[in-house]
Amino acid sequence: MKNGETTASQDAENLLSNASNIIAITSHEFKTPLTAISAAVELLAARLHSSQQMDAFYEKNLSRITTEIFRLNSMLDEMLTINSIMSGRMSLNKEMIDVVQLLTTLRANYFADPEDTRSFELHVKGIPQGIFADRNQLNRIFMNLVGNAFKFSREKAPLVTVDFEAQRVVIRVIDDGIGIPAADLPQLFQPFFRASNVDEIAGTGLGLSIVKTFVQENNGTITVDSTVGEGSTFTLSFLYHSDSL
Amino acid sequence: MQHTILLIEDKTGLRDTLQSLLELHQYQVITAANGEEGIQLATAHLPHLVISDIYMPVLNGYQLLEAFQSHEQLRYIPVIILSARSATEEVNLALEKGAAAYINKPFLFANLNANIQQLLQTSGAAPLSL
Repeated sequence: MKNGETTASQDAENLLSNASNIIAITSHEFKTPLTAISAAVELLAARLHSSQQMDAFYEKNLSRITTEIFRLNSMLDEMLTINSIMSGRMSLNKEMIDVVQLLTTLRANYFADPEDTRSFELHVKGIPQGIFADRNQLNRIFMNLVGNAFKFSREKAPLVTVDFEAQRVVIRVIDDGIGIPAADLPQLFQPFFRASNVDEIAGTGLGLSIVKTFVQENNGTITVDSTVGEGSTFTLSFLYHSDSL
Repeated sequence: MQHTILLIEDKTGLRDTLQSLLELHQYQVITAANGEEGIQLATAHLPHLVISDIYMPVLNGYQLLEAFQSHEQLRYIPVIILSARSATEEVNLALEKGAAAYINKPFLFANLNANIQQLLQTSGAAPLSL
């Protein structure tokens, strides 16, 4: 091979690396105009309020723009995360985690959507023990699963149960939502897969594949039981600190 | 009675909109388009608080934080960093270099304002009499 020539596999590797960098750079670059739009909407709302011209119609539609900006931002975050995972650039920082405390904090902060005033119920059973995991990844797992439970449920508040068993903690995220068709269950954790009954609900199809990767990175398991029209239960299981070493 | 805020952001549209929002909330605002201009204005005006982007031409936000930390007077001015990058390493780096708060873009102004209020209170910055 002459100097400067590359093999097909090197070319493919370079292409993937370039594609990954382009995704990372453009995803970050999109956030500045999103911030400018969001700030402009807030300025508009503030001016309408101060000149007493704000009415229900303006308020509803300005709020809708803001909601969609942050939804788009969440999609960018998911793309950035899956890009880091696929390019092997995901860093892991494990520490002792109190799962109940983490979920309690999450519940206290889970009022970002002004259109949904529900919180989730948290039921704890057994003697609490810590698990050795990455805090950011664990937060993302629960944010995604609980977020989905809100997004796809109807009347009842989602329920999160934490069961401290002899060797592991089992966490279930339960909703009374639209459920997942049985035929979709085998592909549910694949990137870009979306269940066949969620066309009307925004999403990238990346969230659950990120969840599964993070669960595996932290030596856990995840399963799902679901019935269309009745709801879904996502079950997570993590070994305790001493058992996971 | 107003607090003075120095806003450093290279994107003109965002800088103008944020300036208007801050002024609507009764802050006196001076603006700069990069870190170097920011340091010059900070030295001349000694604002109560600085809000800065990270990735800017000429002098970036990390270099700005370093310059503030090594300056006798500027080191006491709280700096809020606004950034599109949310990786733990980047947040930690900014905090290690002296940032008082780190807010991810996009953000709600209420969140930025809550941070401003808290930092102005804890730094004990007295507003200027006009």
